[in-house]
Amino acid sequence: MLDDKGVVKDAISSGTMWRGIEVILQGRDPRDAWAFVERICGVCTTVHALASVRAVENAVGIQVPKNADIIRNIMFLTQYVQDHVIHFYHLHALDWVDVVSALKANPAATAALAQKVSPSWPTTSPGYFADIQNTVKKFVDSGQLGIFQNAYWGHPAYKLPPEANLMAVAHYLEALQWQKEIVKIHAVFGGKNPHPNYLVGGVPVSINLNGDNAINMERLNMVHDLIVQAQGIVENLYVPDLLAIASFYPEWTKIGAGLGNYMSYGDVPQNGIGDPSKFLIPRGVILNKNLGEVLPIDHTSASEIQEQVAHSWYDYPGGTKALHPWDGITKPNYTGPKPPYQNLDENGAYSWVKAPRWKGHAMEVGPLARMLVGFASGRSDYKEVVTEALGRLKVGPEALFSTLGRTAARGLETRLAAKWLLDEYNKLIANLKAGDSSTANTTKWAPETWPEDCKGFGPSEAPRGALCHWIHIKDKKIFNYQVVVPSTWNASPKDGDGQKGAYESALLGTPMADSNKPVELMRTIHSFDPCLACATH
Amino acid sequence: MAMLIETKTPPLKPLGKKETEVIPQATKRHYVWQVPIRLTHWVNALAIPVLFFTGLFIATPFFSPTPGEAFERFTMGHMREFHFIFGYVLLLSIAVRVYWFFVGNNYARSGFPFFWKPSWYKAVIHQMIEYMHLERGYVNIGHNSLAGCSYAGFFALCGFEGVTGLALLGEGNPGGFWDRVLGWTTPLLGGSFRVHMWHHLAAWFIILIAMFHIYIVLYDSHLYKDGLVDSIISGEKHSIEGDKDANTWIS
Amino acid sequence: MEVLERKPSTYDILRAHGVDRRTFLKFCTQSAAAIGLTSAMVPQLVAAMEKKPRIPVIWLHGLECTCCSESFIRSSHPIAQDIVLNLISLDYDDTLQAAAGFQVEEIRKKVMKDYKGEYILAVEGNAATNDNGVYCTIGGESFTNILLETAKDAKAIVAWGSCASNGCVQAAKPNPTGAKPVYKLITDKPVINVPGCPPIAEVMTGVLTYLLTFGELPELDRQGRPKMFYAQRIHDKCYRRAFFDAGMFVEAWDDEGAKKGWCLYKMGCRGPSTFNSCSTTKWNCGVSFPIQSGHGCIGCSEENFWDNGPFYQRLSNIPVPGIESTPDSIGKTLTVLSAAGIGAHLVSVVARKGVRNLTSNPEPEKSEPAENQNPENRGN
Ligand code: HEM
Ligand code: HEM
Ligand code: NFV
Ligand code: SF4
Ligand code: SF4
Ligand code: F3S
Ligand SMILES: [Mg+2]
Repeated sequence: MLDDKGVVKDAISSGTMWRGIEVILQGRDPRDAWAFVERICGVCTTVHALASVRAVENAVGIQVPKNADIIRNIMFLTQYVQDHVIHFYHLHALDWVDVVSALKANPAATAALAQKVSPSWPTTSPGYFADIQNTVKKFVDSGQLGIFQNAYWGHPAYKLPPEANLMAVAHYLEALQWQKEIVKIHAVFGGKNPHPNYLVGGVPVSINLNGDNAINMERLNMVHDLIVQAQGIVENLYVPDLLAIASFYPEWTKIGAGLGNYMSYGDVPQNGIGDPSKFLIPRGVILNKNLGEVLPIDHTSASEIQEQVAHSWYDYPGGTKALHPWDGITKPNYTGPKPPYQNLDENGAYSWVKAPRWKGHAMEVGPLARMLVGFASGRSDYKEVVTEALGRLKVGPEALFSTLGRTAARGLETRLAAKWLLDEYNKLIANLKAGDSSTANTTKWAPETWPEDCKGFGPSEAPRGALCHWIHIKDKKIFNYQVVVPSTWNASPKDGDGQKGAYESALLGTPMADSNKPVELMRTIHSFDPCLACATH
Repeated sequence: MAMLIETKTPPLKPLGKKETEVIPQATKRHYVWQVPIRLTHWVNALAIPVLFFTGLFIATPFFSPTPGEAFERFTMGHMREFHFIFGYVLLLSIAVRVYWFFVGNNYARSGFPFFWKPSWYKAVIHQMIEYMHLERGYVNIGHNSLAGCSYAGFFALCGFEGVTGLALLGEGNPGGFWDRVLGWTTPLLGGSFRVHMWHHLAAWFIILIAMFHIYIVLYDSHLYKDGLVDSIISGEKHSIEGDKDANTWIS
Repeated sequence: MEVLERKPSTYDILRAHGVDRRTFLKFCTQSAAAIGLTSAMVPQLVAAMEKKPRIPVIWLHGLECTCCSESFIRSSHPIAQDIVLNLISLDYDDTLQAAAGFQVEEIRKKVMKDYKGEYILAVEGNAATNDNGVYCTIGGESFTNILLETAKDAKAIVAWGSCASNGCVQAAKPNPTGAKPVYKLITDKPVINVPGCPPIAEVMTGVLTYLLTFGELPELDRQGRPKMFYAQRIHDKCYRRAFFDAGMFVEAWDDEGAKKGWCLYKMGCRGPSTFNSCSTTKWNCGVSFPIQSGHGCIGCSEENFWDNGPFYQRLSNIPVPGIESTPDSIGKTLTVLSAAGIGAHLVSVVARKGVRNLTSNPEPEKSEPAENQNPENRGN
């Protein structure tokens, strides 16, 4: 809803798809759950499986071997790098980049620009850009714009010069080709991507340096080279492009802040998932943009993390307002209009997304939240990447609280992720050198070894933010399984007190040039990297 | 029927007592089981345990592996090979038996569940009562109606094993004979993995039938003195006055 | 890169991919048949196709995880870029699309009109059929209706992944949304099923390029799957098969056998019941596939595979409510009960009748068996 000056006055966010995976899981073998929940989303494939095996291990009391933790970290960080790059180039860049304008670019000038932006990147010759331009020309001339059809080309909100647009298009294609390489790391350890395999108690793959039917030197070398290649893409393509494009949109450091509450569960454990003090991605909450204090999180406390359904299409038993996920209920109750419909009623239920709250507060989760929690916790690695970027864009830290800040934070943490990838690889090698090649702890594989009734939680920091699975196991079967997903936090509808979710509040106050071509809204929504499949599950 | 019940002989003598009562003794011998019946019986009786054993091994290979090279052994390969060979043997034997159902002597059809005939139900009820009284009653020269049911069930289960087994076999050779002939049955049973499960479950029911069968044969033979055990070797059964000679085309 | 004078037509594109004129004509004839044109109209269609642009593709997303799209863009030969820029015209795909909102829905309607009977409909995910399809709506319209509407004038339908071709995870019991695969909703048109969760990237692009290159549907099996990728079981092409035949199995995760790459059968591997090309084509440019990385196949391209669990069990549980245990536990229980029953019977017999002395049996006299063989006696 816009006011008369074309500024967004009110917004609601609705998730219009629901599959009922939490319901489908009931009564099943907890060891199978990872495969079901992994199918919540193919874009952030891996993270739900990881949260799931952690939840089961937490419930029945399994400590995974060191190598398993390292391999899980490598797969997790691989997902970060791949997902973030894909998001930037293929799901977000076209909000900022005008493909059609690239036709007007001068290839030689583009080459000069590219050399300036990323001096050590190989494909920066004028001939290369001329070729790309021809491809685009042929494509546009064909009149069949395919996925680029009906976009907002020529919209006044596009600010990049033609050369920058051409460079970005070239890198769009390069990133598309590269993303299929990095995921080979998942194939090595998990057999395939999307949806690599996980295992309760460790990882399914074995290590045998003296055999060729398990992880050996050839496999390790492949992983190593892919990591190095990924670092190259992040340092020479992604982050330079990001900063270059950002410098054309300074006004977007003032738009789209939203809630001002940020939460990260943390991840990349160095001493097991039970020791958050040793996480590479720190855990904590920031309220009201107060970087002076990072609050702790207790996933087991019945009063901290809760979900509400006041504006969601679910039923809680009479009078219940909010439930901790261990007691969570997923009972669909659609009260919206019968399709086809034009509008949803924002006063009633209007979404398949539940409304999660931390101690009653709506939270933003994701790269920006992590960056801020890392920064506010005084972590030097976070501080270093943030200050460097702010310096290059010549803005202060307050610029982080914005649409552009969110997009930038994603790029900056990808730098850290790529670096940690190599660190984790080196740790794996060191551990193997020390003679430890174990990858699975099977002492509690058999359900007979489990308690009759137990509960667990599996936290993770998915690319889009704080993710946790809660499981209640009874008689060796899943009694209750609840997933609270990053996009559930961000796409949350209003709660019982009328508090808006992160998307809803970030859109408020956004100025729009043309209400029929809402490219500005897409910039903010896309800056969260929304995932509907995840949000509703 | 009523007439038959009247011919009931006196109860058998309890253990330990002196032989004061007359125990009915079989007095007549009948040639009941022709050669194909006896032959297929023993082929089945050999094939079933082999199939069950190899089948269980296929399902859960219980020999634990010892280090060595794969070429040195072919354990699973042999188990499957035996399973398939005996599977074909069983099917062939059943085919012969089915053929003999139509061309053999009347005992070859005895006991078959002719469920569309009222007389069959009477016979079943009668047989149940007999078994519950633990008395000799009369003996069928041929299969009694309950035995007939379980044999029909047995053959049906074997048929099911044959269809599912051959359909599974056909999966290894797509476009081959069994795939073309029986491949279509797999989706009906919920897909290949479910077919394994049903095949496996049916195997247990065959074993259950066989178990009851052996017990009842021994029991019958022991208490009723009809020479039942010997008959499946020699072909001859013993009868007394009042035993039912099912010497008609059916039941 | 060569710039064509006029817009590249379907014929240009096919020719660039090595399709000769004869195949092209065949393609046209089949297309004509597919859209119900008489053979007399084929020449017109040929003329049209020679000038007509790249084949438009509408890619719908229903109840799904978007993984099939993710897999698609991982294709190494051909790479996704070539397909999207040169081979087809991916006119509608609300995930990859640059536009959003009602502009996207406009495109779909326009393609359906302008290319009536010519576009390929690719479906990822499936349709919720319970409660008017409210579990999946796009722009206020139920996906179920969008699917039916778009399918009506499609030239061919490709069902991507297990969602579209089998139902997949959301159709697992108790299937709260009434999710149904495409073939159960669209029965008047051939649907090419490309199952897998997700399907292998090169399988997906292979199916599409086959359609375009040879101008005909690939040969499909009984379940509508292209034989070129789904004819054989994983197990029959698995590099661990030698260990299976030898009887050398992984007995526990990360044990000696696991390190040596023995067969994963006892860990629940579904390879013996799964038709897919993982063990030959492999994943991610041939780097690996589930079994090669130590985990059994979970049968992700098979119908009902989610309900064939638990995954780490050699056999599925019996899918009868209230039973839900394995054939072996049922079999063993029944056997024990029966043995107990037999024992009890025996005891009661002994108690009531006593054990008889078999040896007191006199030899009965022999009867005439001749009458039994008399065929005249047949009949009741
Ligand atoms: C009549 C012909 C039969 C044929 C052609 C046949 C064939 C097969 C085949 C192809 C398999 C699967 C083997 C594999 O996956 O490698 C199998 C498994 C099995 N068979 Fe049979 N079979 C037959 C009869 C029987 C009978 C009569 C029994 C038991 C009394 C039996 C018991 C089993 C068992 C327990 C399995 C293991 C099933 C599993 O867990 O996958 N089969 N059979
Ligand atoms: C010690 C072992 C066995 C003995 C002494 C034995 C004895 C007999 C006898 C006496 C009959 C005739 C039954 C009657 O009229 O009630 C018979 C029939 C039969 N038995 Fe057995 N049996 C044995 C084992 C088995 C086994 C292991 C199986 C199969 C698993 C089997 C399957 C059958 C079948 C299917 C028939 C019906 C035969 C026909 O009508 O062709 N038997 N058996
Ligand atoms: N939200 C979300 Fe995911 C992520 N990242 C899940 O945990 O995207 Ni598909
Ligand atoms: S088939 Fe599997 S991978 Fe594809 S969309 Fe469905 S759940 Fe995702
Ligand atoms: S690992 Fe699986 S597919 Fe491979 S041989 Fe063993 S059972 Fe078959
Ligand atoms: S799980 Fe799926 S990916 Fe292949 S090996 Fe099995 S079909
Ligand atoms: Mg949930």
